[in-house]
Amino acid sequence: MLKVSGLSKYFGGVAAIDNLDLEVEKGDIRGIIGPNGAGKTTLFNVVCGVYRPSQGNVFLHGEPISKLSSSEVARRGLVRTFQRNAVFHDFTVLDNVIVGRHLRAKRSLLGEIFNPRAGAREDRQCALEILEWVGLSAQQDELAANLAHGFQRVLGVAVALATEPEILMLDEPVAGMNDTETANMCEVIGNIHAHGVTILLVEHDMKTVAGLCRNITVLDFGKKIAEGAPQEVLNNHAVIEAYLGTEDIVA
Amino acid sequence: MLPFTVGLYNTEILILLLINLIMAQSYRLVTTAGDWSSSHVVLMGAGAYTAALLAKLLGWPFLITVPLAGVVAALCGLLIILPLLRTLGFGFFIATFALAEAIRLIWVKFHYPFGGARGMIGIPGVEIGPWDLSEMIPNYFLILTITVLLLWIMYRIDRSRIGKILKAIQLDAQLTESIGINVPYYRALAFATANFFAGIAGALLAYHQGAIDPKSFAAVPMLYLIIYVVVGGVRTYWGAIICVIVMTWILEMTRQLGPWRPFIAGAIVIFVLVVMPGGLEILITPIARGLRKVPGLGWLGAEPRRRDPVQNER
Amino acid sequence: MSLATFLQSLANALVLGSIYAIVSVGLALSWGVMRMANVAHGEFYMLGAYVVYVLYAQAGWPFPVAVASAFPLIAILGVLTERMIFRQTRGNVLAGYIATAGLAFMLQVVASQIWGVGLPKPIPVPYMGAAHLGGVAIGWQRLLVVPVAAGMMLLLRYFLFHVRVGKALRACAQDPEVAALQGISINRITMLAMLIAGGFAGVAGALMAPLQPVTPYLGQTIIITAFIVVIVGGIESIGGAVLAAFMLGIIHTFVTTLVDGVTATMAGVVLMAVVLVIKPEGLMGRVRA
Repeated sequence: MLKVSGLSKYFGGVAAIDNLDLEVEKGDIRGIIGPNGAGKTTLFNVVCGVYRPSQGNVFLHGEPISKLSSSEVARRGLVRTFQRNAVFHDFTVLDNVIVGRHLRAKRSLLGEIFNPRAGAREDRQCALEILEWVGLSAQQDELAANLAHGFQRVLGVAVALATEPEILMLDEPVAGMNDTETANMCEVIGNIHAHGVTILLVEHDMKTVAGLCRNITVLDFGKKIAEGAPQEVLNNHAVIEAYLGTEDIVA
Repeated sequence: MLPFTVGLYNTEILILLLINLIMAQSYRLVTTAGDWSSSHVVLMGAGAYTAALLAKLLGWPFLITVPLAGVVAALCGLLIILPLLRTLGFGFFIATFALAEAIRLIWVKFHYPFGGARGMIGIPGVEIGPWDLSEMIPNYFLILTITVLLLWIMYRIDRSRIGKILKAIQLDAQLTESIGINVPYYRALAFATANFFAGIAGALLAYHQGAIDPKSFAAVPMLYLIIYVVVGGVRTYWGAIICVIVMTWILEMTRQLGPWRPFIAGAIVIFVLVVMPGGLEILITPIARGLRKVPGLGWLGAEPRRRDPVQNER
Repeated sequence: MSLATFLQSLANALVLGSIYAIVSVGLALSWGVMRMANVAHGEFYMLGAYVVYVLYAQAGWPFPVAVASAFPLIAILGVLTERMIFRQTRGNVLAGYIATAGLAFMLQVVASQIWGVGLPKPIPVPYMGAAHLGGVAIGWQRLLVVPVAAGMMLLLRYFLFHVRVGKALRACAQDPEVAALQGISINRITMLAMLIAGGFAGVAGALMAPLQPVTPYLGQTIIITAFIVVIVGGIESIGGAVLAAFMLGIIHTFVTTLVDGVTATMAGVVLMAVVLVIKPEGLMGRVRA
């Protein structure tokens, strides 16, 4: 479904991604891990159209997407979340998700101006369902800026979800979360996957990755050094070496 | 209703106030998306010159020249924003000023057909069907009607999905892109639409005064426009409107201060931006919240907000 | 265009480019350091011209002294602007520049009230006569701009690269957070940037005072030029500003000779638009993360 072939991305003389090949099947939950600076977020940015690749190509359903802008990529069904807490701070939680619905809303803008009620109800309904799903219904009228960190990240996922993506790319979804928040987010991600969305996630937290993902790809210095099911990857010699001294990866 | 009680001089003031309301609210449409341009009054001029030329040289009727003036202004606006889609913030402010100034200089330079630095005179009055609406009082009602109509349309836009998208773009353009919204497209759309309204305002001005000159569309009027929106506050729909009314009143009261008025305007801008960057909204929001509690008037109230778009760094 | 005209235009372009360079370099510096720019920069230039009017034309001081005095006088104005406006609006880029737009108008009104808005002030030309080189004639008054500009650029370069405070300034322009961690006081640096910006703009205006009509609205045209130069050259790049200044000087001079002044201004604007489309960070600017 998503294929990266011969991908390289240079910044100045440094190869953030070096001749990478990657393939994600439909229905997979794929984890991308690697030590700091391995190129994980850069990979996200290239795939999603924020950066152009220096070499190589990205294919979605067999179609090349490397020359598309990030909004075009999103329109094709590939949506990403951000490492930072990216929500619309001054909107309510509900409004945040409603904005996300724009992509799938079926009304003309002009009609919208003179007769807003019809479509607005539909958007609102859908947004409420999504909030229900991710467990944020109670806070629907709260300003996004006032939410706790963990909830803000869940909201970020909810907004991305509102676009009905085929592939959802999550950039460090549980960063900065405590155990409860992490467990909650994992449940949300699991639910999303169960509904047929393919998931690609970057994470540092090994427990999360091992628990959630079906397959893991390991990057180091922009190259792939291992790939496979969690158990084999995490016991792989090269992977352990890459992480030596930085983390204990007993799952 | 009003003109009969306040006399012709004040009716003139009211007419200019109405035109300023269109300008302020349409400028707010641009800034809602986070784009602070300095080309808005020049685009008003584009509308003014278009209507003036079509009416004076070709004899076309009011009902055709005015919408056309809006269209021309919108197209000129596109000419300005299309090279600037990757430019934001301060660069956008200066670049729009420079590009707009280039347009304004065309009017200054070419004596034919724009009349050069002295501008155009002899713009015909307004005739719609059998009615001559050039006299002050009928003119007032005509402009009042158009203003109310345009303000209503802009209100609907603000409340609509596109209004939300523009606010989203201002809050976090990267996030907005990531959910499939084509940000440059919407910026350009908001810009062109706002300029359409500015063009109409310009056409109304041209017909009303019977004469226009390039100086009316230069930097000082642009400063005042910025003040209306900055001091009035971008967040609330009514902020700019209230500011226009209050400032027009103040400027009238201080007419004898003459040349010092831009000085005072500048001082107000600095004061507001340094002391209360949210503008009048600081005063409006509590009032709006109160209004929301009154049944039937809830639609007047702004939504609760906490941070100010002017404060976000770009 | 005959060879003589070409050479003459080239000489004029050199002079014009030098002035543009002096005016714009301070702007590039302060914009780079503060991430905000000063719309009233043109008014600094205008007030520098009035310094020469007051000190030289009215009080009779020697011309070089009058010009040199413009530096500290307008530099102080720059520092005041930083204290009162930029420091208060730090982090709010939009507010900063709109506030300086307000300041620009205030300064224009003050100047027009003090010195009147009618006919421009006459300033006697201190160095009459012209140099004749190879068929090209340049008035001495014009010509002296070039070595002064060169001298100022060299001094600035020395300051930025070999004096501790200057190096701190450059560090701040590149990365204010890291600079702060190193103990560099952001407040001092921004004040310094505005001091240089004000001083340079004032001197530019002072140098040009005998060569152009001095009115309170002098700032309005030079500000567009200054911003075009900085946008084209790249915001924090001094070298870019100098390069762009001469490019613009050449464009303005040659288009004025071939067509007229108004078209020359428009040509400059078109150049800016082209750069913004092709390379928005400027010719020598770096893409900001």
